[in-house]
Amino acid sequence: MDGTRGAPTTFRRGWTDAGSWRGARAGLWAWLLQRTAAIALLGVVALHLRNPFVRTVQALLLGLVLLHALLGVRAILLDVGLPGRLHRGLFAGALVLAAALFALVWWWRWY
Amino acid sequence: MAPAAPLEAAPVILRVFRGSPGGPERFDVFRVAVGPHTTVLDALVRLREEAAPDLAFRYACRVGMCGSCAMVVEGRERWACRTRLAAVAAGGPREPTVTVRPLYHLPLVRDLVVGMEPFVARMRAAGAAFVPAPPVAAAAAVAPIPAGSRERRAIDAAVECIGCGACLSACSMVGWNPAFLGPAALNRAWTLEADRRDAGAAGRRPAVLGEAGVLRCHGQAQCTAVCPMELSPADSIRRLRRGAVARLLAGRA
Repeated sequence: MDGTRGAPTTFRRGWTDAGSWRGARAGLWAWLLQRTAAIALLGVVALHLRNPFVRTVQALLLGLVLLHALLGVRAILLDVGLPGRLHRGLFAGALVLAAALFALVWWWRWY
Repeated sequence: MAPAAPLEAAPVILRVFRGSPGGPERFDVFRVAVGPHTTVLDALVRLREEAAPDLAFRYACRVGMCGSCAMVVEGRERWACRTRLAAVAAGGPREPTVTVRPLYHLPLVRDLVVGMEPFVARMRAAGAAFVPAPPVAAAAAVAPIPAGSRERRAIDAAVECIGCGACLSACSMVGWNPAFLGPAALNRAWTLEADRRDAGAAGRRPAVLGEAGVLRCHGQAQCTAVCPMELSPADSIRRLRRGAVARLLAGRA
């Protein structure tokens, strides 16, 4: 580094810069989706506790719990030794399974 | 000298980052003729010869061995010398366009050149040097691990890092926490951890398993997605974690 140069400039991807997101791949989307579901659940659980009989909130709660849980299972499976090359398939599997379980529970609900 | 790309080839708009630390930043726009095999590096070399003699970028081997031409092409870390413009040009209704910018998370030197000091510092912090197991003089200490053995296969899967910095640039966790050792350094630590001839594990673990180590990885595998050598630092980090848990359970932590 020579002394004449200005302050160091180190770039990082900005949330609001569309170009920054073009490099995002499945693993990042899986992580982001799971975290987003977790944060959304905080609000949805609070709404559900206030009035447990609102259908929309029930559907949101079920969907978000399934999404968060199954993406968590994906992360655990990778952590315990499933090869990383399977991570895209596990992501797709978690989404499909979440959708299937949602449909099963929602349309065949027992109450 | 290699023949120039055919002039009848379709033009591509090349947007190139220009700037120095503390100075103004901009994207210069060039229209370049592109043949089916013209690489980003070919185009940059031609630009410097014909249109932008002060354009700074780094390269050495030009054949995908050294990693020095790593940069962000169309939002993703790639080797400029192995990336064909025609393959990455964003099409659609507008003219095919390719945007080229320097790697993230490394200090800008000028235009497309970044300093690799933070990359090297992370390697040092992770204890990336081989520490021969005693007795150093014994031939066994440096004898090759047999080809085809389980140990050799585990190491081979992670050992070919060429230090291009693409993984460090792609890792969003490095963006959030600049102290994080990052994928390349931890991948290197794994290759040494897996090597029975290495005796440096104990000295390495405080950093590797510490606050800025494997715990900071969230398994997004962006590093693995961009590694031009097709290594998987994400898998190496998981192996380091599993090893730590196994030692903990065995009471050897």
